[in-house]
Amino acid sequence: MRKILSGIAQFFKGDGWSNYRKTLRYALYVILHPFDGFWDLTHEKRGSMAAAHTIVILTVLTHLWDRRFTSFMLNNTQWSKFSIVMNTLGILVPLVIWVVANWCVTTLFDGKGRMREIYMGTAYALTPYPLIGLPMIVISNMVTKEEGVFYTYFNVFALIWAGFLILCAVLMIHDYSLLGGILAVIFSIVGMAVIMFIVLLFFSLISDAVMYVVSIYKEIVFRL
Amino acid sequence: MKTTHKRLLVLFMLVSLLLSSLSTALADDDDWYTYTYSYWGEEMASPNAYAVTNDIYLQDIDPELGSLSNASGMFCIDNHTFVCDTNNNRIIEYIREDGKYKVVRAIYTFNVSKAIAEDMKFNGVVDNTMFSPTDIFVKKMTKEERLKLYGDKYLGEPYDFGSEPLPQPTEAPVDNTEEPKEDAEGGSDEGATTTSDADGEDGETGETGETGETGETGETGETGETGEQQAAPVAPTERKDNIIRIDMDCDYEIFVADSQHNRVVHCDYDFNVVSVIKDPKDETLTDKYIFIPIKIVNDNAHRTYVQAQGVVNGLMEFSKDGTFTAYVGAAKVVVGFFQKLWRKLQTRAQRKRGEQYVPTEYNNLSLDSRGFIYATISALDDQDIYAGTATPIRKLNSMGSDILIRNGSHFPMGDISWGNIQSTASGASKFIDVIAFDNDTYCCLDKTRGKIFAYDFQGNMLYAFGSIGYSKGRFNRVTAMDNLDEETILVLDGQRGSITEFTMTEYGKMINEALLLYKQGYYDQSAEVWKRILQYNGNFELAYVGIGRALLRKGEYKEAMKYFENAHDSENYSKAFRHYREQVVEKYIVYFIVGLAILIIIPKIVRKIRKLRKEIREA
Repeated sequence: MRKILSGIAQFFKGDGWSNYRKTLRYALYVILHPFDGFWDLTHEKRGSMAAAHTIVILTVLTHLWDRRFTSFMLNNTQWSKFSIVMNTLGILVPLVIWVVANWCVTTLFDGKGRMREIYMGTAYALTPYPLIGLPMIVISNMVTKEEGVFYTYFNVFALIWAGFLILCAVLMIHDYSLLGGILAVIFSIVGMAVIMFIVLLFFSLISDAVMYVVSIYKEIVFRL
Repeated sequence: MKTTHKRLLVLFMLVSLLLSSLSTALADDDDWYTYTYSYWGEEMASPNAYAVTNDIYLQDIDPELGSLSNASGMFCIDNHTFVCDTNNNRIIEYIREDGKYKVVRAIYTFNVSKAIAEDMKFNGVVDNTMFSPTDIFVKKMTKEERLKLYGDKYLGEPYDFGSEPLPQPTEAPVDNTEEPKEDAEGGSDEGATTTSDADGEDGETGETGETGETGETGETGETGETGEQQAAPVAPTERKDNIIRIDMDCDYEIFVADSQHNRVVHCDYDFNVVSVIKDPKDETLTDKYIFIPIKIVNDNAHRTYVQAQGVVNGLMEFSKDGTFTAYVGAAKVVVGFFQKLWRKLQTRAQRKRGEQYVPTEYNNLSLDSRGFIYATISALDDQDIYAGTATPIRKLNSMGSDILIRNGSHFPMGDISWGNIQSTASGASKFIDVIAFDNDTYCCLDKTRGKIFAYDFQGNMLYAFGSIGYSKGRFNRVTAMDNLDEETILVLDGQRGSITEFTMTEYGKMINEALLLYKQGYYDQSAEVWKRILQYNGNFELAYVGIGRALLRKGEYKEAMKYFENAHDSENYSKAFRHYREQVVEKYIVYFIVGLAILIIIPKIVRKIRKLRKEIREA
């Protein structure tokens, strides 16, 4: 406990806090100068894991707030079926699988990046989503349905921007050519599918096995 | 210590994941009778809009006449109900007096005058019996009108049958669907898919039993259809006398679809034949074509519309004198890209064997009070129905185009969630009959699950009720439905041979009242009724919209928004919101401007003061 407290104190006393602020602010530079930005992000150590976590958390929160606070007209959420956990996982799980898949693929294909660098790059690339999404939630409550197309446009724009940034991140972190980067992205997506398939297979097999045991147990209990 | 924590955590997560997949769907006991659908397509229990008030079996009210056999057509007018007792080759007329049903008469034969005898010939013999009557249409017409329109030929000397024998049928009744006509090549982009061995869609036409293909139903996935074969209809062997229980005199005009005699017989109330519609002549019809009328209506201009078996080009329209004039309302359905591509790749033989893209046949029609035809189609693909590209119910104007309004949150297609309602039936609802009420609401009869679906003039579903079963208000195999008056529905069950009378409850009447008031423009009064309806049924989204609309007109925008949100009506919500935003902006615009001014002015003043100070200091 003491250790943690002193660690926190250290963080604020030393240059931890200012470093955190600097790396977080660097995200704004990255999204505007992606090639430059992602190169320096890892090679010049201008990004930090703390900032990356912050952006990921902001992304999740933006998504949740978007579902919750976007104007009724633009928000087709069935509340009786809404789950915060599922929506959070809906962002985190693909992110994790992406990082893993991309690491697997790039390791095979001469990628220079390490897993934490891939994670950091991807997280920084997500910046446009909260940056545009949060104001859009507020704006959505001031527009009518016809004007709501702007809300949609801006959100789509944010997603396209983020997608482009992810591609840039892959290019710069692994030091790929454009073609190589695109291939790496495609293979990573395939890899994600494979991972998900294996996970599902694994769990369905395990659950079958458990069901088997459970049914035997039940049978025995009924007979006794 | 730390690793054990981690291990525990992972174990916990694993277990919770496994448990989540273990929980099997529990069967819910929501066995309600009447329900509506929410915006999300979930069934919501509703109070009964109709209640069963009578269950009529012919053998109970008139044992001598026996029971109905595969009755497939029904028509109600005033207090009279005409039922086509298809396999018994007769028509039964009932009358309702003080809530009780009595038999007026049982009709076996038409009365034929000498002048009309030639038209009544079937297989070379003047045949005044009916063979497998499938539908009857009755409308009001006085004798004077009839004489003016159709002449007095029918009143002449009666034809003397003497001992002229009836043609003895040797083979089973004809069936057009054996050989579906090849669609004209030019119109290849119209049409849904019907397999070439699709039978005539259901047993009511009596084509089952004579070929080897009765075991397989034409449409796949139709569980309700299997094991439900009726005996093939047998032609009448003698000219039975009509049985008359109550002698009445009414100004009615009667049309009978005498299906297996390939004619529509038009007669007066006493079944004196006035004219006969048969042998339509048209270049689209091959020589082999045999006219088998299944369902008929006759509109105010005395045109007869016939839904005939095996005719895929729409409804057949006949003029007053019985000549075929046109097809009306052919179903245009687009063939998908892959279907086209696949067809291109097939060999000629395969193409012939495979699916044919022909427009789907209608299966029933009915006329509303303004002369529009409501027509139902049931041979449709489930997915097309769900996507809204196929329309199981249509409202046709005289040009034959579909003018049904579909503004509801779902298309008028019956059940929206298909699997979990009843385990015995799956797939989309199949409408086989429709009634249009005077207030532009309409009810559709679903064969799949024995249900009745009611829609308002905008296509919003009002309620659905009924199911397959044996208790009152449930059915075995519904075949037809009609309304005795605006608040009474009769449903004919062909397998059970019963007619079930439903009478509207207070709840149903309130809905009609609210709709009527709204249509007439009395929005406030209509909102009052909707509020009362909400007390009965808080799930009813249409009521929220109704109240919201009234509030919107009154200028209570914020309240209106709340109601529209409850009903998921984003269009109207947007309208209310626009006004609400105006109000808010108007209210706070002063503060806004003042605030803005302050924000601009203050820095300026501050700067000025600083400048002054600086100058003072420097001075």
